[in-house]
Amino acid sequence: MRIGVFVCHCGTNIAGTVDCAAVAAAAQQFPEVVLAVDTPYACSEPGQRAIIEAIEQKGLNGVVVASCTPRMHEATFRRTVERAGLNRYMFEMANIREHVSWVGRDKKLNTFKATDLVRIAVEKLRYNRPLTAKSFAVNKRVLVIGAGVAGIQAALDCADGGLETIVVERTSTVGGKMAKLDKTFPTVDCSVCVLGPKMVDLAQHRKIKLYAMSEIADLSGYVGNFEVSIRRKATYVDWNKCTGCGLCADKCPSRKAPDHFNELVGRTTAISIPFPQAIPKKASIDASSCLHFLKDRCGVCAKVCPVEAIDFEQQDEVVKESVGAVVVATGFDLLDIRRFGQYGGGRFPDVVTSLQYERMLSASGPTGGHLKCPSDGREPKSVVFISCVGSRDRSMDRAICSGFCCMYTAKQAILTKSHVPDCETHVFYMDIRAPGKGYDEFIRRAQEEYRTNYVRGRVSSVYPKNGRLAVRGADTLLGTQTEVMADLVVLAVGAGAAEGSRDLAEKLRISYDAYGFFMESHPKLKPVETNTAGVFLAGACQGPKDIPASVAMGSAAAGKVMALFSKERLESDPQVAQVNAVRCVGCLKCLRTCPFGAIQEVQARDGSTKAQVIESVCQGCGVCTVTCTDRAIELQHFTDNQLLAEVNYLCRSWMEKSPA
Amino acid sequence: MSTIDLLREAIRAKLPDLDMVLAWGGDDPLRASPLFIRTESDLENLAAPHLYVSNLAVNLYSLRSKKIGLVVKGCDSRSVIQLLKEGLIARPSLYIFGLPCEGVVDAAKINREIPDAGRATGLAVRSGRVMVQTPENEHILDLDAVLADRCLRCRYPNPLIYDQLIGEAIPVGEIPDLYQDLDEFEALSLDARHDFWMETMRRCVRCYACRNACPLCVCKAHCVADSREPHWLTLETNVSQKWFFQVLHSMHLAGRCTECGECERACPMGLPILLMRRKLNREIRELFGYEAGLDLMTTPPLSTFSIEEENIAEREL
Ligand SMILES: Cc1cc2nc3c(=O)[nH]c(=O)nc-3n(C[C@H](O)[C@H](O)[C@H](O)COP(=O)(O)OP(=O)(O)OC[C@H]3O[C@@H](n4cnc5c(N)ncnc54)[C@H](O)[C@@H]3O)c2cc1C
Ligand code: SF4
Ligand code: SF4
Ligand code: SF4
Repeated sequence: MRIGVFVCHCGTNIAGTVDCAAVAAAAQQFPEVVLAVDTPYACSEPGQRAIIEAIEQKGLNGVVVASCTPRMHEATFRRTVERAGLNRYMFEMANIREHVSWVGRDKKLNTFKATDLVRIAVEKLRYNRPLTAKSFAVNKRVLVIGAGVAGIQAALDCADGGLETIVVERTSTVGGKMAKLDKTFPTVDCSVCVLGPKMVDLAQHRKIKLYAMSEIADLSGYVGNFEVSIRRKATYVDWNKCTGCGLCADKCPSRKAPDHFNELVGRTTAISIPFPQAIPKKASIDASSCLHFLKDRCGVCAKVCPVEAIDFEQQDEVVKESVGAVVVATGFDLLDIRRFGQYGGGRFPDVVTSLQYERMLSASGPTGGHLKCPSDGREPKSVVFISCVGSRDRSMDRAICSGFCCMYTAKQAILTKSHVPDCETHVFYMDIRAPGKGYDEFIRRAQEEYRTNYVRGRVSSVYPKNGRLAVRGADTLLGTQTEVMADLVVLAVGAGAAEGSRDLAEKLRISYDAYGFFMESHPKLKPVETNTAGVFLAGACQGPKDIPASVAMGSAAAGKVMALFSKERLESDPQVAQVNAVRCVGCLKCLRTCPFGAIQEVQARDGSTKAQVIESVCQGCGVCTVTCTDRAIELQHFTDNQLLAEVNYLCRSWMEKSPA
Repeated sequence: MSTIDLLREAIRAKLPDLDMVLAWGGDDPLRASPLFIRTESDLENLAAPHLYVSNLAVNLYSLRSKKIGLVVKGCDSRSVIQLLKEGLIARPSLYIFGLPCEGVVDAAKINREIPDAGRATGLAVRSGRVMVQTPENEHILDLDAVLADRCLRCRYPNPLIYDQLIGEAIPVGEIPDLYQDLDEFEALSLDARHDFWMETMRRCVRCYACRNACPLCVCKAHCVADSREPHWLTLETNVSQKWFFQVLHSMHLAGRCTECGECERACPMGLPILLMRRKLNREIRELFGYEAGLDLMTTPPLSTFSIEEENIAEREL
């Protein structure tokens, strides 16, 4: 083989703590290396040109670039060598930046380690073989999971782009949290007035098929060709017939059902339509409150329904769809208020969550937009807002900032004044985070124009006192303890991943962080992608974000889907597992361990059992390869021999020439 | 009827339905060898139960296309279960004669006790005693003193899987400390343990007898120890290659090994290699609460995939 080695300085990023010329000089002595040079920026245009020229002039048939992480530039350099006529897998990258220069300061040791990493890359490259990708057709339909504002935006953009779009929403209406908000910051415009038209568009778009009251039961397949099973939960109402007239709800005698849309502020009927603008505007029965299911009597709804839509016999149903890409937009859920007993959460009726407060402010809410204390219905004359409840709180293992609470707290303080002008408003805060456009100005308005009393400090306790609530805490600006009397306490409860997110992530085979939020592929450069090809993220499911950011991400995800679908065929990654049927003993341990269902059982001609990899499904994770004891299954481009070459060199070098 | 007669009759009755029955036989009064019974006349060579030392399950994978009858002791039955669980053999082509086992004698131990054991003409076991007949003497030994090591820590004298039980199940006594030997070994200093394995591996002749005796080592001809593609081991006879082989073997048996001890018994150099397998088995027990070869319904932990393991902290939550 004729190998060329290019050691990149990355400006001073690498050269600052690694002697790149020395690394190149050492590499010149490595087996089969015919050229080794250092270069200021390997990825720059002249840097890449130098690689191409070297391949042509020196007749190289393998290239090693020692530079940054492959996540950053492996694709770049693969294209470079391909332009010079080499197979793109005849290239190896040694990461001497993240793994060396950025983590060690001792130049001598760094140079030693960088040299080792280059040597390892060379050793592996000597065993590399050209690999070629296969291509397969793309199913240009997209699945959007979750129809909050982010999912709606993604679905509309995809559908407007001409794609058939399937939307799966867990609740009986689309809209997500935004549909529950009264007004939105920083413009204080009516939330559902802005969102409503988009919800209607979603329902009416020819290209969109909406499954409400539905969840993902299973997803299989791979980018371009996913098979999804959707579980449509029984609503006991035939939605093909239901006109949304609401007669059933008017007559339903069971009036104590929990009202989830109103965040359990108030009660609703066992059969209900969540709110006037609901999409789809269809009734559904909550079986846990329905007298028919509880006591086997009643059936009033069935009698009054003019179109005979009630169907007590309805069952969950699983439907299948095939799509080529998935946008996940399942949003967030607030933490359980009962976790915050010190603030009276779950203990006093007049301590509510921020989202409950939105419903109490909303004209379509359970109080018709009149502010009332849940305990006795009186109008509050003092409202205390506590921010960072379960956010930025290490004692709860929640270091994260929920992002939007500072802003909506200011908004809620402003709205409180417009509902009850003589009501006092107090906000206990840690810092105020208002970096968006017009956001800081908005906070100032709350403080100055709407005379909200901002107290910097944490609340230590909330307790009943003379029929009201006393909120006690520190004022860290004045350096004193302070106590404020409140009729109503609003907790800006931290945002966590939507309920069931972890389960969904496992089904979609995407990763999630410690809080359950889905992981993007790269925090800066691939914020919308996941590590599973063809699955994209939008909105607060990736981490708390406000409406503008959620909408932007919805559009971004749609853009990604359209870019993906702009090709007729996709190339499969040849770095997949492959079974050597001669060695395979047919134990099928690989089949059982493969997290992606990428292995199937086949019969060899002699009737014996063998494993076979479905190339387009295999993600190249390597789990099967470590399971197979006789190494019958190996990952292409990461074969045993390639890895052994690295390890063998490394162990030998460590024993022979350790610098210390 | 004595156990051997019961067994003989049971096999005789089933033989017509089977290609062959695997049991133990031969003329040596201290050791039996595997007996492949194809015809009724082969039944005459059946040996007495205390000599049923080897684990016949080792043959099952290579005979998997045949209809096989197999005699198993408690420990052997675990290998059968493990092979079945791993899909390496199929239950329908197997007929299992389960033999409750009082322990088997270790010929090496008898040799140590009796100078003229080499000329023994007969062996009988009665109520905890072993009578060894030689031309000149009749020696009487304590059964416990000549039982195989693994029998001393046996927890499953009764087969865990069978189609037919020969005789009565044996009441299971107090379960001895499972890993006392390992504890003692691990109490040694790192250096002492290192030296121990260096010395042990220096003596290993890399004959692969241990691997070949292992009922769960089914790769055989494709074992990575012999393979050039992929090329895991070289043919150098240095300690590192031999040690590497032993570690590979142990790793490939983690959570599969039933500790039948055949590897150690087969080793011509008498190396204590079961210790390494037992170490990994204990790890598996502690991490996954799993023991190989006990239950057909459970899934071996290394044959599954889960993103978060209960007892392995992969990341903080
Ligand atoms: C009290 C409060 C006030 C706020 N006020 C403002 C404001 O004034 N201005 C502003 O910009 N932002 C505000 N926000 C933030 C705003 O709510 C979010 O930015 C926005 O809701 C994020 O939209 P989303 O679509 O990502 O998630 P969501 O709104 O949470 O929507 C997610 C949707 O997915 C569905 N879903 C969840 N899991 C599944 C599943 N497994 N399968 C199918 N469907 C599923 C849910 O039912 C829901 O419909 C506020 C937040 C709170 C808590
Ligand atoms: S684990 Fe290995 S031997 Fe077993 S079926 Fe898979 S490839 Fe074949
Ligand atoms: S590498 Fe193996 S375990 Fe991983 S996806 Fe491919 S076949 Fe499945
Ligand atoms: S049987 Fe003994 S000598 Fe032979 S390879 Fe195994 S440990 Fe080494």
